[in-house]
Formats: sequence, C-alpha cells, structure tokens
Amino acid sequence: MFGRVKDAVADAAETLRRAFAGLKVVEVAPEPFPLRSQASACLEARPRAGLQPPVAGGREMPLLEHGLQARALDPFRTTLQQEAGWASWDAGARVVRMTRLEAGRATRIGVPALPHRPQLLGGPEPVAAPASRRLSDPITRPGVRRMDPGLGPVAAEPGLAVMLSRAVPIQGEDIRRLPKGLWMRYSLQLVRGTGENVRNLEVLGLFHIPRKGVADLRHDPRQGRLLLQLEAPAVRAPRAPFILARRKDDGALVSCYLEDA
Amino acid sequence: MAESIKLAYFMAVKEGASYLGGLLVTDTSGIPLDFRYTEPITPTRLQGILYGKSLEPHLKEEVIQKTLLKELKVAPDLFILSATELAGGWAGDAKCPVLAVQKSQESPLAKVGDAFRAGPRELLLQVAEGAAPMRVLFAASVDAAAQEQAVIKLLEAGYHMDLAEPLERVSAALQSLVVKDS
Repeated sequence: MFGRVKDAVADAAETLRRAFAGLKVVEVAPEPFPLRSQASACLEARPRAGLQPPVAGGREMPLLEHGLQARALDPFRTTLQQEAGWASWDAGARVVRMTRLEAGRATRIGVPALPHRPQLLGGPEPVAAPASRRLSDPITRPGVRRMDPGLGPVAAEPGLAVMLSRAVPIQGEDIRRLPKGLWMRYSLQLVRGTGENVRNLEVLGLFHIPRKGVADLRHDPRQGRLLLQLEAPAVRAPRAPFILARRKDDGALVSCYLEDA
Repeated sequence: MAESIKLAYFMAVKEGASYLGGLLVTDTSGIPLDFRYTEPITPTRLQGILYGKSLEPHLKEEVIQKTLLKELKVAPDLFILSATELAGGWAGDAKCPVLAVQKSQESPLAKVGDAFRAGPRELLLQVAEGAAPMRVLFAASVDAAAQEQAVIKLLEAGYHMDLAEPLERVSAALQSLVVKDS
C-alpha cells in the first residue's frame, strides 16, 4: 500500500514539474518617472495712481444786461374836488324842542284787553276731547292646575300624572351603616322570600320604595340606584324596605319586600 | 321621622316668549307627593316695554312662585330652587328656608355630615359616603340658626335621595308640557 502512495506522489511531482517547466521569467526594466516642472508667474507690483485731487471749477454768471428795462414813473397829478353836502345839511336841519313834564297834563291812554280765547284760524275744530288710557295693565295671575294625591288614578289631574310618568330614581342605603342585627334579619328574609341559598346571592342594594303603585323598576348599577315607574297609588302608599340581589350562578335578579322592624 | 320632611323644588323657565313654572313636592325618597304648574304666561309687547328688565323677575317671583305657593296645602320644610335663581336675588316669601343645592367638584370631606363653610350663606356638605360634597347656598333671608336646621334636614333627606336630581325632573316635566301645548 505504501508503494502505491509513493508512486502516486511521484506521479504528481512529475506532473507538476512538467507543467511549470515551460514558464519563462521576463525581467521588466522599470520606467523612470519623468519629472515635469511648471513655472508660476511671479507676483509683480504695478504702481497705480491714487485718488484724484478735488478740482474747484469756477463758473461765471452772465451779467444782467438784456433782462432789465428801465421805466420812468408817471408823475402825480392833482384834481380839484368839491363837496356840497355840508351846505345842504346845514340848510335842512330843524330844531325840535321837547315839552317839559308837568303834573296834571298827562293824558290817559286806554290799553285794549287781550282776548280771552284766541281765535284759531286755519284748522278744523277737534271732534272730541282725547280720552286717556291706562297703560299699566297688571299681568293677570295664571290659572293653576293642581293634583290632589288623594284622588285615584282615574281622576288624576295632569300635574302629578306628568311627574309620575318620569322615572323616579331611588338611592340605595349604605348597607354597611345598618346595625348588624338588622342586616342579619334582612338577610334571613331575603333567603325566605326568594328561596335561594344565601351564598348564591349578591346583594345589590337596599331601597325604600312604595309598597303599592310601582309599575316598573330598573336597576342602575353605575350609580347604584333604582329607577321606578310609579302610578298614582304610590303617592300615598307606605314606604317599605326593598332588597335587590343577583344570583351568582346565572346573574338573574331577585328581590323582595322586607318587613320593617 | 324621615317621612315627615317634605322638600319643595321650584323652577320657572322661559320658552320662547312664554313663562311657566312648576313646583314639585317630594318626600325624602324623592317620590313626588304633589306637582303643580302654571299655564304659560305670554306678556304682551306693551307689558314687556313697560316692565323692562324687571319683567322676568316679577313674573317668576311675584306671579308664578306666589301663585304656586298659595296653592300648596302642605307646607314644605325646605324650598329648593336653582342656584341661578338664587344668585339673581330671590325675593319670594316662602315660610321655610330657601336654598339652592348643586353638585360640586370638590374632594370629599372626612365623613358624612361634615360641613365646610365657604361663606356666610354658602357651605359644602358631605351627604353621601365617598361622593363629592354638595354645595348649599342659602337665601339672604335665612339666618344662621335656620341654616343649621336646614342642614340637618338635608342630611336626613340626602341619605335616601339625590338632593339635586328632582330639579332636573321639574325642568323635564315643564319642557314636556310646553311641547304638548305647542
């Protein structure tokens, strides 16, 4: 086996030797890098003239020779005027002499009386004297509709019927503030009234609502209150504690009136 | 007894050119015991000119409110109206304390029944556990002793009901009456 390996290695060496036997080495002379120099122009200073000195130029004004013309002023002339008014005024003046005031020489002058009713001219006579009207009319008292709670539902007036048609919210009592004994009695009544196991009940609230006249009720869990739809008998009906609970297994609501202590 | 307290809620509204008002009496559960309202009053143009700015307060206080109060057979314990009406200078003649109740945005007070006096006629009252306190505004005619008595009644009623809610019912009822009449 080692003989075969040796022969194979020898064959490979011979093959390599033959493959690289024909290669020639060529020497390449390095080409020198030509140096090229570039000359730059030298800076030169050129003299330049500075600022030109200010030159004061003189201008000659033309003489006023042709624009002026001399004019001679006209001489004053006198005219003789005559005023004859003074003479006429003097000739037409009259002298008036006032008589002296003396007692008993006064004359009585009658003053005409003013008319009692001035005469109205140019307009029609009024038909009649204007009548005064009273402007401060008092506001009349409105009529009042009333509803007597004692009346039955048939005779109910609109007033209370309108109010009873709206849902009445009833706040739940704080169960924690109840005496423990009272709460135990209420729990027992709840179990008896609903027939449920107390462990299966979750109390939602305790409310005081009318024993009669409750047409519908809904629970508002967000605010913990009952919304009642009432009828007229609810107004006079006594209030009774009412407990509302939820069954834990199916979520159904159960409720019952409680006997107050 | 809580049932003995009666709260009267008054509101007068203007619908178009007409005025009408309503008075709701509830028990401490908020259940209506009586409700009366006036027919719409439409002042004439001449009356509007002659009364000027005093027309609206005159109609609400002198005409509507007095008429409704006179028709009540049961005297209420508290006369509650909106804060806007009270701030406008209420001049009615109710025989009971006159006040306004509105919900506040303040943080709750320590416990139910606590009151924080914000002024001689204004206080914050903790009515319900954990809720924001109610803002109570008294009319100028309610003195300090009457205010204390009113606060006790408010706490008793507030245990069972939302004190500010019935005014919303009165407003809604009046709106429905206007729609029905028109």
